[in-house]
Amino acid sequence: MHCTDCLEKLDAYVDGELSPEEARDVDQHLAACAECARAHAELVALSRSIKEGLVRHHAPDVLKARIRSAVLAEPARIPNAGFGVSRIRIAAAGILVAALSSAATLAVVHERNAGPSIESDVVASHIRSLIPGHLTDVVSTNQHNVKPWFNGRVDLSPAVPGLDSAGFPLVGGRVDYVGGRVVPVTVYSRRQHMINVYAWPAERERAITPEHFTERGYHVVRWTSGGIELWAVSDLNAPELDQFVERFNASR
Amino acid sequence: MAQQDVERFERTVLPYLDDAYTLARYLLRDEHDAQDVVQDAALRALRHFEGFREGDARAWLLSIVRNCCYTWHRRHRSNQRELPIDHIQPIASSTDPADKAAIEASERAAIQRAIAALPDEFREVIVLREIEELSYKEISDVVGAPIGTVMSRLARARKRLALALGRGEQEAV
Repeated sequence: MHCTDCLEKLDAYVDGELSPEEARDVDQHLAACAECARAHAELVALSRSIKEGLVRHHAPDVLKARIRSAVLAEPARIPNAGFGVSRIRIAAAGILVAALSSAATLAVVHERNAGPSIESDVVASHIRSLIPGHLTDVVSTNQHNVKPWFNGRVDLSPAVPGLDSAGFPLVGGRVDYVGGRVVPVTVYSRRQHMINVYAWPAERERAITPEHFTERGYHVVRWTSGGIELWAVSDLNAPELDQFVERFNASR
Repeated sequence: MAQQDVERFERTVLPYLDDAYTLARYLLRDEHDAQDVVQDAALRALRHFEGFREGDARAWLLSIVRNCCYTWHRRHRSNQRELPIDHIQPIASSTDPADKAAIEASERAAIQRAIAALPDEFREVIVLREIEELSYKEISDVVGAPIGTVMSRLARARKRLALALGRGEQEAV
């Protein structure tokens, strides 16, 4: 092998891209030629320096959450959305469709002359949260960002378990006004379904076992744990919402 | 799009958002542009996901990110600016030769500057090879060039970097 031949193949050699035969030829030449051996050593050192100089960036949590919610909203997507369209709007559009259809339900139910109960308050809050821009005040898929965010905003530090592995990725958190007080809400998702979890101190002894009911077509699970009353609301089917509650409790 | 496709997408493609973002950062040199482009690329990937059946999801996503970056460049050509030379945060250099950490830091900063100054077609192969550690074949798929071209671009990119870093051939190791 000639030196020019060897030098030409040196990058591919260092990158492990030569065939075994070619690599053997280069091996032999490097063992015999000090000049090429030095070039080889320089190239290895350079490649190492480049690797050290390059930065592996981490996509911000907010970006990941935005993409995730846009992906979840995709089955109900708006066609031809591309550059120039606000990315959040794409995600929001899907949610808006859901909100509008529930608004129709809301209008029907409204004729009922019931006074505002906690149940309807919670579900109203859930529906409101589906309107674009209302779902989260803090967007993060990381429980360690969401939990401290509540500090100083509400007088209760809610449990924010990471349920990614159970298939319920965290979307974020917000504070909301329910039953005459400000409460923390953590938001999870399952496919395109959003799950809002409300928490406040339990006022009276409630059954530990979760109670289920349906309000305006939304499934609601209410339970008490460690002196905290929790409500999970979603349009997710009841068995999966149950599964969510189970995992939520297990991870608290 | 079918529900199971969305779930498969979440499982196979979304784990590579850091890789996508890294490539976009290097190609666009701006974190906000990179965020917009990565989100756009992820949604494009989702819409074309039915066409993706097998192969490396990471390389596939990176090829879409790359295309979106160049589309972005074309659309914003009017306000495309020269790369600011102090784009990289200057790192305080130390004159104390014993200060090994400071020397390494300034060496790293010099490499970052040299990489940032590379033309796009060289910078992308360097990033794909040295950070993403893609094979020549995968790089060739991502950049849409023959393997031989990838090989020579990579070699030329490294030569440029060696020159920029003052590691000429005359320099003894």
